[in-house]
Amino acid sequence: MVSVNTLKRGLHKGIATTWLLTKVVVPIYVAITFLSFTPVLNKIAEDCAPFMKYVGLPGEASLAIVLGNVVNLYAALGVMASLHLNPRETTIIAMMLLLSHTIFVESAVAGKCGINPWIVGISRFIFAVIAGVLLNILL
Amino acid sequence: MDWSEFARAAAAGSLQSVWQMALIIIPLMVILEIARDLKILNRIAGWMAPGMKIFRLPKEGAFPLLIGLTFGLAYGAGVIIESVKNGQLSWRDLFLINVFLILCHSVVEDTALFIAVGADGAVILISRIALALVVTFLLSRWSGLTRLEKLLGGKMIVPRCTHCRKG
Repeated sequence: MVSVNTLKRGLHKGIATTWLLTKVVVPIYVAITFLSFTPVLNKIAEDCAPFMKYVGLPGEASLAIVLGNVVNLYAALGVMASLHLNPRETTIIAMMLLLSHTIFVESAVAGKCGINPWIVGISRFIFAVIAGVLLNILL
Repeated sequence: MDWSEFARAAAAGSLQSVWQMALIIIPLMVILEIARDLKILNRIAGWMAPGMKIFRLPKEGAFPLLIGLTFGLAYGAGVIIESVKNGQLSWRDLFLINVFLILCHSVVEDTALFIAVGADGAVILISRIALALVVTFLLSRWSGLTRLEKLLGGKMIVPRCTHCRKG
């Protein structure tokens, strides 16, 4: 039956789990915030721009992909707002970003659940690229 | 580089993400414990058991999958970590649930975000779910999967559990 103990146990589990995830998320969040204050991400986006044609996107869209993968979806959406993509391009970039985003934080969380975070991160990005190329052919 | 601005952004952002996790995970765990004590959890897991059989997963895997799919990866992970502590899931179960959730999580919020900016909701939702189903299904039928634990295993130690597994 439900008792005070039930609530205590739930509260304790909730706090313990939050703390465990805090220890994973915060250091990575700080490191990523640092990166976003340096020109590194813009440089990576510039280097990726020529490859964007294979997924049917304009070169400038590479910044949205890079920020989405390193920072989060909101950062990517911010860039997308300034790009004026057509519906087809929006669907392709949405699919790519949905499959692969916030890669460092989410991979670390998956690592806590028993999978090697590097394998998680790399395979997600590969899936996103494959999805992008396929949608570029199919749509 | 503006160090004070960086410190402010890092601190505010970290606090906000921890706060957001706490706001969902703590009530979620309390609700799960109440549902467990009222035996609701067992009943729902029983309903989902046939679905889980597709991936040859135990019914205990249903909750992490459901929470991750609707709320998001971190929240699903919270439930997964709890299930592992209780010894309900093997490494294979964890791996398959994780593969599914990594490809397809937080479907409500994520999909809504991109529909709002003009993406085709049907395409992005259906292909994401389909991809997760196909990849998880294929991996679940691959007998070599358990041998990959050494290569793919993360830092978490999965307790060996014999009493709660079929066969």
